[in-house]
Amino acid sequence: MKFLAGENIPELLEKLSLLSEVWAPRELRGSGGTVMFERWRSGDPLDLEHFASLSAKDMVLPRTEKLFGFSYAFGGAAVGNPFGAPAESAGGIPATAGESIRITAAEPAGNVVLFGARACDAKALTVLDALFDQTDGKGYNDPQYRARRAGLTVITLACVTSDPACFCSSFENGTAEKAGSDLILYPVDGGFLAEAVTPKGETVIESGVNSRNKVGSARGPGDSDPETGEAASGLTLFEESALETPVLAVTAKVEGLEGLRQKLAAIFDDLEFWQAETEKCISCGYCTYACPTCHCFNIHDEMRGDREGVRLRSWDACMFHLYTQETSGHNPRPTLAHRYRNRINHKFSYYPENQGEILCTGCGRCIRGCPVGLDIRDVLRQAVECSASPGEGGDR
Amino acid sequence: MTTVVQAGVKATDPLRPEPAKVIEVIAETANIKTFHIAFDEPSLMEAFTFLPGQIGQLGILGAGESTFAISSAPSGRDGIEFSVMKTGVVTSAIHELRAGDPVAVRAPLGCAFPTDDWRGKNIVLVGGGIGMAPLRSLLFYLLDNRGDYGDLTLVYGARTPEDLCYADNRRDWEERPDLDFTATIDTVCSTWDGCVGLVPSVVEEKAPSPDNSVAVTCGPPIMIRYALESLEKMGFREEQVYTTLERRMKCGIGLCGRCNLGPKYVCTDGPVFSLTELRALPNGL
Amino acid sequence: MSDIVSIIQRVLGDVDLVLGWTATGAGGVAAPARFQTAAEAERAVFNATCVHNLAVHLPRLKDQTVGIVAKGCDSRSVAQLIQEREIDRDRVKVIGVRGLGGSIDVRKIWRFHGYGVPVDARTDSLFIDGKEVDRQEFLRQKCLGCRDMDPVIYDELFEASGSSITGIADAATVETALSETGLGTSLTAAEAMSAAGEDESRPLGELFAKMNSAERRLFWREQYSRCIRCYACREACPMCFCRDVCIMQTTDPHWTGAGVDAGEAEMMQLIRVNHLAGRCTGCGECERACPVGIPLMLLMNKQNQVIEELFGYRAGTDLEARPPLLTFDIKGDSRSEK
Repeated sequence: MKFLAGENIPELLEKLSLLSEVWAPRELRGSGGTVMFERWRSGDPLDLEHFASLSAKDMVLPRTEKLFGFSYAFGGAAVGNPFGAPAESAGGIPATAGESIRITAAEPAGNVVLFGARACDAKALTVLDALFDQTDGKGYNDPQYRARRAGLTVITLACVTSDPACFCSSFENGTAEKAGSDLILYPVDGGFLAEAVTPKGETVIESGVNSRNKVGSARGPGDSDPETGEAASGLTLFEESALETPVLAVTAKVEGLEGLRQKLAAIFDDLEFWQAETEKCISCGYCTYACPTCHCFNIHDEMRGDREGVRLRSWDACMFHLYTQETSGHNPRPTLAHRYRNRINHKFSYYPENQGEILCTGCGRCIRGCPVGLDIRDVLRQAVECSASPGEGGDR
Repeated sequence: MTTVVQAGVKATDPLRPEPAKVIEVIAETANIKTFHIAFDEPSLMEAFTFLPGQIGQLGILGAGESTFAISSAPSGRDGIEFSVMKTGVVTSAIHELRAGDPVAVRAPLGCAFPTDDWRGKNIVLVGGGIGMAPLRSLLFYLLDNRGDYGDLTLVYGARTPEDLCYADNRRDWEERPDLDFTATIDTVCSTWDGCVGLVPSVVEEKAPSPDNSVAVTCGPPIMIRYALESLEKMGFREEQVYTTLERRMKCGIGLCGRCNLGPKYVCTDGPVFSLTELRALPNGL
Repeated sequence: MSDIVSIIQRVLGDVDLVLGWTATGAGGVAAPARFQTAAEAERAVFNATCVHNLAVHLPRLKDQTVGIVAKGCDSRSVAQLIQEREIDRDRVKVIGVRGLGGSIDVRKIWRFHGYGVPVDARTDSLFIDGKEVDRQEFLRQKCLGCRDMDPVIYDELFEASGSSITGIADAATVETALSETGLGTSLTAAEAMSAAGEDESRPLGELFAKMNSAERRLFWREQYSRCIRCYACREACPMCFCRDVCIMQTTDPHWTGAGVDAGEAEMMQLIRVNHLAGRCTGCGECERACPVGIPLMLLMNKQNQVIEELFGYRAGTDLEARPPLLTFDIKGDSRSEK
């Protein structure tokens, strides 16, 4: 494997940022210690120690993205009043013959290097691929998702430590999961061992060759050419190394997840169970927004003036009342208990059934950041327990 | 599930609608209008096909889009029709549309009625209110392919005579000898000399035989519930009964997460479901 | 003096359920819980990690009679909800907590000692992973300079006998204190922020108070740019009980865009701050719930301070008072100049 010295990371990121946007975790100023994946620019600090509060799904499903722009052709006020109230005549919608609309595609997303993801973040991308990039022809493909995904290079930081909220070891490969990563960095003394998992990962290693070896850099032999910035041949940020990869962390394991689909089906109608599990929930939506696999979205139009606008897609949350509220007032999931039941079932029953992947990678964000201390693992354990003795609502 | 048809909506960009125009607006009732629309791009209109039961997203750019059943004949080449009841923000904006106005359409979406499997069978259609929209498309299809099917029965009801849609079609349907059509209203009314009674009871009175038959029901949830009871009482088995469902939808392509009943998405696995399928789902019916 | 378990058990005789805490959070910190039976109430605890303002549940439990364990600050939310007739005084039994001595910022502990580290946070001492640490260092920012050690209303009283709190929190004091520090007013937002980042002990409010309006604008733009529009601030707020007809999400009329960017987030937060004028009890739950750490209370505290100066009113401190901005008295003094 190759060795990358810790002190050379800024230089690597700088090289990568010549061709791509680079996103990396850092602590945000004035945020009381919140760490998030943020656009990295030369000189920005990194926080590779703390776990980012939000996942990296932003890279493929931004909080808000333009699906397309539209404009109305000339002649009269252009569009039905998006503010709802009827305008002067016929809602302001003109009947001018020949008048039409033009739809313009969103600007293509550029390439992105995500630095410092964890195995659970990277794995989540492949879980989302199963829905948004269906190559079997059965489902739809999402062009914007696919473009972002194709342009994304994921450099993962292997976990040698974990905290009690982590539970990736409940799933197949735990911290050793490689799916979704292009390059994996294993922390060792003084730096990292780099393992390229995909050709994209190889490219990252290659981009470390011919170091510019800036003035003041502690790099070794081979002075750079001040004209071109090219280093003498053979100089690279990644050196051959015989070091052994470190022992990875083992995280909490939720037992009894086998056959969870049947177990959840057995307690589906036990609304008291779901009420008890959600009694402290304040439906703030954090769990869904922080989750690397939650992907529900809303679509809405925004006008700029009365002639032009954009159709946007934004994150939404299944824990919100309005999410399934119908215009008639009917709501198929009227209470928090109904909504949480759907959330758990979607993750551990419906998605595995439809897409063959569990919609959870055990990153633990929903546990770590929940303002009322709700722990999805407790809910799963209770579900396993309750399904074993149906009818026993427990003493909760 | 039933036949999967996904031609039409761009497989490459399913969330992007096609520009279209309103050709004609027909006021059906006080709060229901039918919009006949055609794509701006003639080649698209020519290539457009769908099957009865499929849905589409009709929208006004700037106001948003909503899901509706396609209510026109699959054989129609000059456009597609959506019947829209005015209920919320988007449908109110749609109701303001006049002929010539630009709209944006994503269609067809979802699965159709399995009409191929129904060949040679008698078909009983049970519709109420705006629920007649998908049944109208289905009926057009069955009449276009009349030789492939046995007896056709349609019971269509609404609260009052003024709440019945498709007046022109109803005149045709009444005159056709190869269709047993009954329009009914809930209570006696001086302007109505036709059948009076709730849809499920009228179906029971007509008593079509369940033998070699398929029943399709669509309407308000309460009507569907009683219609299903009536049909079962008459001997229809679960697998002989179909309905179409409505849920709040955004994407229409199984991604956004709203419209699922258990693992099934109304937008892609439905909206057409057999009663067998529905009863197998958690919280189905 | 009664312990919290027996008080809850006693109150359960009068109500359907009691809102309190169990020690079931990570590392033994408190997590909110509902108790319906005396047996369930055996698990009840009260300690300095009981940070949650349980009053947020009251508007959602209107069909039941509810007991609630309320710290001094939480009791203000209960009182304000009663003042606004959102809940009925007769249907709620308040177990007031007196003398807590401030609650602990569990997130801060996790940040420096790791998530889930064992925490024993008594009302007068703090042990992290078995070792005693300076309790004062981990007090929640809002508890410094607390003016609500005693509950405003209560039916039962639980004496927490905590340690005393020192320190300053309210903006007025901050501004006086700062004028002596020699900090210039020419700080840019970025400079101000990096200064704050370098010195954890310095409250953000101090630096904010020294910024001019352009700097403040920059500051807020940067803060709001990371808002993800999850509405956790709203859902965590006991006074944001409009719930599903909230102006932030209605499409008819369409007040705020649903796009996620700093401008929309700023609009949304300014609306929210305005809607809470004279109603915010300063509990800080919005800020605690914010997943991206936006210092929402900076603006809210400033507004609360202005309202106190203008109207002599602190939300939820007097059951009989009429909240100033919920008052429209056409014949009153305020119209006399007409």
